Amino acid sequence: MQNDKAKVASDVAAQKKANALTQHFQYPPGTAAFEGLANCRSCQLLSDVNVGNCPRCNDTLYLRSPNSIQRTLALIITAILLYIPANIYPIMTTVLFNDKTASTIVGGVVLFVKSGSYFIAAVIFAASVLIPIAKMLIILWLCYATSRQSHLSRPELSRLYRATEFIGKWSMIDIFVVAILVALVHITGIMVVEPGTAAQAFAGVVILTMIAAHQFDARLIWDKQKK
Amino acid sequence: METQSKIACRDCDCLIMMPEMQINQTLVCPSCSSKQFTTYNRPLDYSISYGLSSLILLVMANSFPFLSFDVQGQIRTITLIQASNDLFIQDFVFLAVLVYIFVLLLPMAYLSLLLILLIPIKFGLKSFFAVSIGRLIGYFRPWIMAEVFIVGVLIALIKVIDLADIIVGFSFWAYIGFAILFTLTANISNRHQLWYWIDHAKR
Repeated sequence: MQNDKAKVASDVAAQKKANALTQHFQYPPGTAAFEGLANCRSCQLLSDVNVGNCPRCNDTLYLRSPNSIQRTLALIITAILLYIPANIYPIMTTVLFNDKTASTIVGGVVLFVKSGSYFIAAVIFAASVLIPIAKMLIILWLCYATSRQSHLSRPELSRLYRATEFIGKWSMIDIFVVAILVALVHITGIMVVEPGTAAQAFAGVVILTMIAAHQFDARLIWDKQKK
Repeated sequence: METQSKIACRDCDCLIMMPEMQINQTLVCPSCSSKQFTTYNRPLDYSISYGLSSLILLVMANSFPFLSFDVQGQIRTITLIQASNDLFIQDFVFLAVLVYIFVLLLPMAYLSLLLILLIPIKFGLKSFFAVSIGRLIGYFRPWIMAEVFIVGVLIALIKVIDLADIIVGFSFWAYIGFAILFTLTANISNRHQLWYWIDHAKR
């Protein structure tokens, strides 16, 4: 009985070893993974994936980030949920002579449009409405496109990913505006700005989408067969 | 740079044979055309000098008034740290910590660690924790939002410019200088360059 178990265990081990030796052939030729070389995430040194840890910086080596799609999706779904309170609650409250006005993200944009400063309205609209929504949709789309045939070519998907990664932190503009206004406009009895709940939620959205973009392994786009 | 004969593109995993690179040339992935890195003239000297100036400017930006807000003779003057401090007072701890980390703490840590790493290398001394510093710096880089903060400040100023007189303090200019020099430093000591130095450091 025990002999059988030992035999099964050794079989499994042998199978694993065979898998490890052949797994890289599923990657397209010309890539590092095809040669069994892993690109270190920290220091970009190429080394044999079977070594386990990067000989230069000791980071764990993977041919592709493990569970990249699942992690990205989990983060994005959380971000989408957080985006709801970010738009419902006021991002800040202005107190002018005991007269309270709460404004939401979209409300702030509308205020700028009404006062005629269209450029600032456009910047805030882009940073806090357009970019976060576009980012979440693009990342969702990329997750879908890595597993299915999409009508976008691989260079286009790759460019989309790079744009999302680059633009990520610019959504923090609105948070910094609130932080500065809260600190600066504070003359008790005349004019006070208080932060609102939406600011916390929105900061959460920005950070989660940034982490999601980092977690997504862009190389998966290129692993698909060429159309 | 002769250590690595080939690298893999981070975006598409394409194997790239390292070509001979001249100064001020950028290596672009042949398959997905994403930028790999750019070579600079005397990168070690420039990284140290820009990094040091940037760190000094950041310290100065914390020591002087940032902005003043003047309504009918009542003046409110804030320093840079008050942007996160006042959020903290209002019980918005999460937000306060985020602003503090992204605007002050991480840039400060990044520049200090970079200098701790590079100055011994420059003078041919033994460098300590070179590998750990290299990894930490890589993790910090995407989270430093100095330039985003500046745009945020400008938009905040436009919002209140009709309500009161705004006096721009010395810190404001120091922070802008810091942000420019920081971007230069981070570009010159890019990942590829940084690990090349760490490889050749005395340990």
